Amino acid sequence: PCVSGGLPKPTNVTFLSINMKNILQWNPPEGLQGIEVTYTVQYFIYGQKKWLNKSECSNISRTYCDLSAETSDYEHQYYAKVKAIWEANCSKWAETGRFYPFLETQIGPPEVALTTEEKSISIVLTAPEKWKRNPEDSSVSMQQIYSNLKYNVSICNTKSNRMWSQCVTNHTLVLTWLEPNTLYCVHVASFVPGPPRPARPSEKQCVRTLKDQSSEFKVK
Amino acid sequence: GLRRCLISTDMHHIEESFQEIKRAIQAQDTFQNVTILSTSETLQSVKPSDTCCVTKNLLAFYVDRVFKDHREPNPRILRKISSIANAFLYMQRTLRRCQEQRRCHCRQEATNATRIVHDNYDQLEIRSAAVKSLGELDVFLAWIDKHHQDTSA
Repeated sequence: PCVSGGLPKPTNVTFLSINMKNILQWNPPEGLQGIEVTYTVQYFIYGQKKWLNKSECSNISRTYCDLSAETSDYEHQYYAKVKAIWEANCSKWAETGRFYPFLETQIGPPEVALTTEEKSISIVLTAPEKWKRNPEDSSVSMQQIYSNLKYNVSICNTKSNRMWSQCVTNHTLVLTWLEPNTLYCVHVASFVPGPPRPARPSEKQCVRTLKDQSSEFKVK
Repeated sequence: GLRRCLISTDMHHIEESFQEIKRAIQAQDTFQNVTILSTSETLQSVKPSDTCCVTKNLLAFYVDRVFKDHREPNPRILRKISSIANAFLYMQRTLRRCQEQRRCHCRQEATNATRIVHDNYDQLEIRSAAVKSLGELDVFLAWIDKHHQDTSA
């Protein structure tokens, strides 16, 4: 056992959660630059009886700890805490607020597939997958968890610089009445109606619509 | 099957109101080992045919017990709680109409589910119970979102 309170507490202890991958992260205690501090993490299932250890996050020097497995029942709520340790001294625990994965996890962007015609672009979206314990585990789509999952599709005509966006619920969308032989860029963000959550759009993807075949024939 | 009883309230506004006070309210709740709503046996095990009645009972639980028992010193938080309470009164009227149109049956199973909530509430001193229930409003709002909102919108 160490002398509790002998060190300042870690700060900004929060969960970073994306598609139910739940990482506890924190900042080192202030004023301890140059000192080799280690950390120990515990977590608590709201409504249960006691704090539980996370053995892989005992006496670690990194400032994050993956608690995805321990918080995988997303309909439960959780707390987590971390303390700093250096030689015989340790800080008091620094605790998160109550963490509710179902309402707080960030829904990652979908996969976006684009195919073009002369005056249209077809967009096919695939919902992101929920975090899984083992790569060989069967995949669960975030759509299965959030039946009201929607997508905000943003489109830009790079010739006219005209931008617009559409909110869609299904996975296919055809943009029509586009200009031929024009580069269009698209990015898509997922969102779920309910409490506000941070959103991270997909990487921007650009495709060129095909040349207008009718004008081609005239030229010949 | 029973046509769903939809609640047309702007849930987004209520959820935003709660988000603004959630940390402060939950910080007042020091009994992490006790829950009021969030026991997975209670809400998750409710059958689809009983969801409307459970919603009606939980609205009454908040309106008739929680909001009345809670003492809030912070005026900003109190305003948010009042706006949520008013929204719940409107929802109660909506569910009453559903009941009149026989779209909100109440069976023993629904009564049992909400009795567990009341029993959990009675385990704690009244102010602690009220603040804990307020801190769990996100669970109940997510329940309403899931069972009473038009997902095609």
